[in-house]
Amino acid sequence: MIKKALVALSALTLISTTLTGCASGSVDGHDELHFSDGWVRVSEYSDHVDGMTGAFATIENHTDHDVTLVGGSAEIANMVEVHEVIMMDGEMKMQAKEGGILIKAGESVTLEPGGLHVMLMGLKEAILEGDEVTLTWDFDGYEDQTFTWPAKASLSGDEKYEPKK
Amino acid sequence: MTKFTRRGFLAGASASAGALVGASAGVLIGGNQAASAAELAAQKAVLKRSEKFHGSHQNGVELELQTFTNFVSLDIHGGTDRSAMKRWMKILTNDIERLTVGEPILADAQPQLALGPARLTVTVGFGPELFSKLGLDDQRPESLQDLPAFKVDALREEFSGGDVLLHLSADDPVVLSHAVRSLISDSMAFASVRWTQQGFSNAQGVVPSGVRQRNLMGQVDGTDNPQFGTQDFNNLVWINEGPQWIRGGTILVLRRIAMQLNTWDKLGRTDKEQVIGRHLDTGAPLGSKNETDPLDLGAVDERGLKVIPNFAHVRRASPTNPKERFFRRPFNYEVGTAADGTPDVGLLWTAYQKNINEQYLPVQKRLDEFDLLSKWTSPIGSSVWGIAHGVKKGNVLAEDLF
Repeated sequence: MIKKALVALSALTLISTTLTGCASGSVDGHDELHFSDGWVRVSEYSDHVDGMTGAFATIENHTDHDVTLVGGSAEIANMVEVHEVIMMDGEMKMQAKEGGILIKAGESVTLEPGGLHVMLMGLKEAILEGDEVTLTWDFDGYEDQTFTWPAKASLSGDEKYEPKK
Repeated sequence: MTKFTRRGFLAGASASAGALVGASAGVLIGGNQAASAAELAAQKAVLKRSEKFHGSHQNGVELELQTFTNFVSLDIHGGTDRSAMKRWMKILTNDIERLTVGEPILADAQPQLALGPARLTVTVGFGPELFSKLGLDDQRPESLQDLPAFKVDALREEFSGGDVLLHLSADDPVVLSHAVRSLISDSMAFASVRWTQQGFSNAQGVVPSGVRQRNLMGQVDGTDNPQFGTQDFNNLVWINEGPQWIRGGTILVLRRIAMQLNTWDKLGRTDKEQVIGRHLDTGAPLGSKNETDPLDLGAVDERGLKVIPNFAHVRRASPTNPKERFFRRPFNYEVGTAADGTPDVGLLWTAYQKNINEQYLPVQKRLDEFDLLSKWTSPIGSSVWGIAHGVKKGNVLAEDLF
């Protein structure tokens, strides 16, 4: 049994390593930023005017230079910021990320609940499940990108918002 | 031989590891293991096979049985109106598009479980009451209504009715479980779960193709179904008139039929065959050789007695005119066994058709009047669903209804 487990483990390690290598290659053959799995979160914070929410996606940098996600804008929100989640006083809290999110050439970044995300604040209307939200992402080192993504609930990632003082 | 076995095992380990990280494991195995490629392909075949979601009909109907199934019935929340239904269907469409190609849904809590397509299908339907709740009575096809009460019925609320049906099937139980969990999670803003009913059929490759299986009474089930891809199937199943949303759809009757196996098993084989009117081994009508042989209801034996008795299930169920046919796609269920050994088993029996009043009801009424088989079977759940037409790429489920 132990022997079998070891074989299985080494096979897994082998594949994981190879995959990481693959991730830096071009997925769709374009020399550009590749966005996938974009969505906007629906929660009790987003179901009313002046509420807030997060937007999430995976961004792959297939260009030959580093790119930084610095912010964004949306018709539906008064303010859009790039945020991170950090441990503060024993609690997971989110705050604006200084300098934005760096995506190095050939690498990818996943924005997800409980981690890096784009924050929509001062919502002008409620965001409900199944709505579509249009959002423009601002980059240093790349042209701004506009997407329309579905809004849906997620059970994970309920952090407190801690604005910078 | 030992060496070969070890290699075989390694391939297996890589296959599961590969599936876990979503990699194409075959490419990564070293050259000295090339011989295992075929084994690996065979091991992954069940996982990799996929069924198209997009098309003029929803999938999961005109399709060979998958091994595992789950019917999920939901009741809409009081606040769920037509625009909410539209938003819900948008989320479900996106989810189904992803899950049926083996990808996690957006914001998936367990993306690791989206191992592969495993022939997952999701078929979405709507119950009669939904139409009145949403003020859509003019969109309800005439025969989409609750069935009349039958003498044989022993219906239980926890297996009956509902506003929205999500019917999921797949060849892998973990893939199915993840898909069910995903769709239910994404439905909770709009509805609550009324009931779920799980079932199973044979593993892939165990029985010849064709939607037929052995039910838990031992009978071949699904004989005399219309053949896939034929005009006969189209004429019986796919609706081509009435409200736009169901043109290309169909109407499903789902009956949970409990089997009293302890008493059934007291019968000898001959008695069992007389009750059903077919041979147990071949599924052929009594007095015939092959399952597909036509029923000869007039045949008599040397004593002048009917070969297929008057009380036989196949005689009572046999159509009296060509309209009284429908498509059956039955799964078995088993939920446990009582202390005295009585199993809680039966069928998740389905009938797909254009019009319940013309196709299912005449047959069911005949069976309700007299069918010896009902001594050992009883319907304990019943529901009726309008299955919307298929979804083309870029479109949303039932978008012309809500």
